Amino acid sequence: MKKKCLLLGLGVIAGTLTSHAQFSIGLEGGYNKNHIITNIGFRAFTKYEPLDGFNIGIPVKYDLNNWFAIQADPQYIQKSYKIVRSSYFEGINHTNKNSYIQLPLMAHFTFGSQKLKGFLNLGGYAGYWSSSRIKGTQIDTFAKVYELPDGAQTPSILDGEPGYSYNEKFIFDSRRDRRIELGVLAGTGVSYQLKPRYELFAEGRYYRGLTDQQKNYMLNQIPRYNDTYVIQVGCMYRLGK
Amino acid sequence: MKSTYLFLYKNMLQLILGICLVSALASCRKESPQINDPKRYIEGSFSEAFEAYWNGMNNNYIFWDTDPTNWDEIYRKYQPIFAKMNINDSTDVRKSYTYFKEMTSTLIDSHYALRINSPYVQDSAAYISPSDARHQKSLDYHGNINPNFFYSTIPPKYLDRGYVRGFINLSATDQFFAVAGKIKGNILYLHFNEFSLNVIKDLPTPNNAQKALQYYFDEVKKPEGLKGIIIDVRSNGGGYLSDLDLLVGGLTDKEFSIGATRSKIGNGRLDYTPWIPATVHPGKDAKLFTAPIIVLADLNSVSMAEMTTMALKAMPGGNVKFVGERTWGGNGPLLNNNDYYNSGQFSTGFLSLVYTSSTALRYVDGKLYEGIGFPPDIEVKYNKAALDAGTDPQLEKAISLIPQ
Repeated sequence: MKKKCLLLGLGVIAGTLTSHAQFSIGLEGGYNKNHIITNIGFRAFTKYEPLDGFNIGIPVKYDLNNWFAIQADPQYIQKSYKIVRSSYFEGINHTNKNSYIQLPLMAHFTFGSQKLKGFLNLGGYAGYWSSSRIKGTQIDTFAKVYELPDGAQTPSILDGEPGYSYNEKFIFDSRRDRRIELGVLAGTGVSYQLKPRYELFAEGRYYRGLTDQQKNYMLNQIPRYNDTYVIQVGCMYRLGK
Repeated sequence: MKSTYLFLYKNMLQLILGICLVSALASCRKESPQINDPKRYIEGSFSEAFEAYWNGMNNNYIFWDTDPTNWDEIYRKYQPIFAKMNINDSTDVRKSYTYFKEMTSTLIDSHYALRINSPYVQDSAAYISPSDARHQKSLDYHGNINPNFFYSTIPPKYLDRGYVRGFINLSATDQFFAVAGKIKGNILYLHFNEFSLNVIKDLPTPNNAQKALQYYFDEVKKPEGLKGIIIDVRSNGGGYLSDLDLLVGGLTDKEFSIGATRSKIGNGRLDYTPWIPATVHPGKDAKLFTAPIIVLADLNSVSMAEMTTMALKAMPGGNVKFVGERTWGGNGPLLNNNDYYNSGQFSTGFLSLVYTSSTALRYVDGKLYEGIGFPPDIEVKYNKAALDAGTDPQLEKAISLIPQ
């Protein structure tokens, strides 16, 4: 339901803005790396690692004048991360492939010549954690241990017994998982006026999540925040006269 | 270009305000608490001792998903109490024993036990065991059936001649014994007091306990002529999980699931791994046993004795009946190293052991029987008078369920 409301909201914004003469709409896509900012506490042989993902969006821009615009990028973006274990637990891991529907809203500052311009984006975003997939290998308590020759060493637990591998849909826990994410963003890039109505652009952007991925459900809770670095390219089409 | 500067000049204030606002917002993240390994806390004060214990439980306990204990409320109530106490005062140390008992009284983990590392506590050698305390208050409570009943009374009364029995001391405090034989010439019976079957089987020096087990396993390998098997795990306190494949895997030629386990993937109370199938693997050259199997268990059957009961009941043939009483309710597998599963038992300076399950077991029907116990198909309650008179109503019921 929340997902539908968000999409409807984005549609209304896009619909309202398309009626304006100084309005541009486009398509963008990119690659990202998401870092989960948290603390592993006292857990031994365990760490969080960033993971790659992609994003695709429909940027809409309202030009107030030649140098300043308001931009919104309704988009789909992956913000994934991995937990890996080391040493004796080498090979034990857990990946969260997280999908978000996100609406960044930003001030867009442009500078440079008529054709080639630089720009700076500054703003905030609201995202909805729409789905997640988990994948990995864990220790199998009931595993049948391998028959090894006498005296054989098992440098890793997986040398002595098979782990359990899984790849399944993540079931959200409403007591723990906070699915709305709010944050700030900063981006910079270059754009090129290909034709009077077409503009190509390339941008590097940083999304900094400000809301914990978890609801406040326990004392001494260790927060988890997304930090996402995006490289994207796209094309804008100017509507109206 | 001129218009750019003009624009920037005119909007300088807004631009600076915007950058300041975004920068200020960017720093709006909660601080992460410092979570230390419970055993790294210095036992210099009760405040430290409490924090070490509370955090260890907060991060390691595997049943927060279903446990009724409000662990945050425990912190709010007991942290100020412990903060006022003196860890070097014998009266306060004794008081702490009572507080630890109160704090843990509703925990559902039936393996759960605490041991205080202080000579001031009279019962310091004994564990604080909330499950044991609850167990003893239950209306049906009885102690273990006397081992001599299994060892000396059952064989001559119920088993045919040629039964095998034996015991062996595994340590100063651990004696293993097993009884195996036949009833009516075609029902195979096995009783043993703890799950050390692989250990006994592999002992280099032959002994009678080993012979009793070998008798059972030899008979299972050639089941022709057997009308049924009775596996008796009454008053069995559990032991090694690896015995499951040896005992239950010896009765099947195909893998089957008895449910699933899960451990921890993060420090949050609800940061669990996915459910991982708990599988019984067939023994080498094992055949599927299709005649009736009766498993006997009572309210003192715990841990591996319960898991074995559950595993036998989950066998795919539907030929297993559980006779006796609801089991204890402590079936979460555990290891003595919490690094394995990022969950489970730990110690602190003040507590020499916080004994707790490493993983939670969900039975094949989707239910958790931790703290509840696994129910029998046919309930036959403990009967002290009958046992004292040398008869065994539970075993007799089991025998009656195997058609001749």
